[in-house]
Amino acid sequence: MSTITEFTKGLYKENPVFRLALGLCPTLAVSTSIENGLGMGVAALFVLLGSNIIVSLIRKAVPPKIRIPVYIVIIATFVTIAEMLMQAFSPQLYKSLGIFVPLIVVNCIILGRAEAFAGKNTVGRSILDALGMGLGFTLALVLLGFFRELLGSGKLLGIPVLGTSYQPVLLMILPPGAFLTLGLFLGFFNWLESRK
Amino acid sequence: MSNILKLAAILGLITVIAACSLALVNQATKPQIEAYKAQQQIQARQEVLPAAKEGVYVLTDEGSDFPYYMGYAHADTTEPVGVVLLTSGKGYSSTIEMAVGVDLSGALTGISIVSQQETPGLGAKITEVRYGESEPWFQAQFKGKTLSQLSVDKDGGAIDSITGATISSRAVTDGVRSALKRLEAKQRTAKP
Repeated sequence: MSTITEFTKGLYKENPVFRLALGLCPTLAVSTSIENGLGMGVAALFVLLGSNIIVSLIRKAVPPKIRIPVYIVIIATFVTIAEMLMQAFSPQLYKSLGIFVPLIVVNCIILGRAEAFAGKNTVGRSILDALGMGLGFTLALVLLGFFRELLGSGKLLGIPVLGTSYQPVLLMILPPGAFLTLGLFLGFFNWLESRK
Repeated sequence: MSNILKLAAILGLITVIAACSLALVNQATKPQIEAYKAQQQIQARQEVLPAAKEGVYVLTDEGSDFPYYMGYAHADTTEPVGVVLLTSGKGYSSTIEMAVGVDLSGALTGISIVSQQETPGLGAKITEVRYGESEPWFQAQFKGKTLSQLSVDKDGGAIDSITGATISSRAVTDGVRSALKRLEAKQRTAKP
């Protein structure tokens, strides 16, 4: 695979949410608005980048038998660092994301990329992979957040756009709305793929 | 056997490195986090008891299980204008911490949520500010209420609960009510 496709594959062809159906738990939970989706996506991108770099750096020194606990320690470290940095330098963002930040530890995209990619590839390729996958994840969250926020609260980025006469469909920002939106998106991307 | 020891040693080494780097980041960010928290508290005190904004807030009963702030309108008066209580309530997914302002007649002058981690889009609406408004609507309705009115509408009180977030609404309301009750009990024992 050429170098550039290591980056672009995460955006569409192997998009973690829409194509691989990975990391669905945080995806369903946080995509209630664009802002939440974007914040979560960027934080996950940071952790993914950090863990991919370290995992690919030490991939030859780690015995296969203990690789999973090693990966988890590395990921948890980066998540905690991200949490502390956010709390210190961007308390407003931290406040709006709240519980989602520590939840990145259990995001299976990050462990998945460490196991499937960074553990077997060079640092350079792992960085491209992390950037592509992280951006793909962010993109998916923002797309879901866009539709759920628009229909569920009549707002975009917290600004009302549908006017006062619009009665928000509360269902859309509740868990069923997350499943419905994600299901329609998965179906749409499968349909796109089948037409090729 | 030696293989197990080797694996344990490698894993141990990695956790030690991880712990050290976390300690470093923690040390670097701690002053900023603490400063922000202290600033948040001062802001909360001024929000809930604006009458003492220009004056001083004196921590009373420090070290007891229920410390509170007496608010004075300016630095050289002995007549307080009200009290700021710190309280908390068990919400749906977190402990909601809040500051509560009470005037001398026992009516609320305001409440402010200092920290919460409720479900975004539902419980977290206890801090929501509606478009075009300057303060969170849920907290604003506490102003002027007295002890007997403090329960959510479902329990026969005067506080409108948030759609889909009765537990969070109840946690805030019950937290405020219990703080007022404790203050009342304290004042009764202080002035026999």
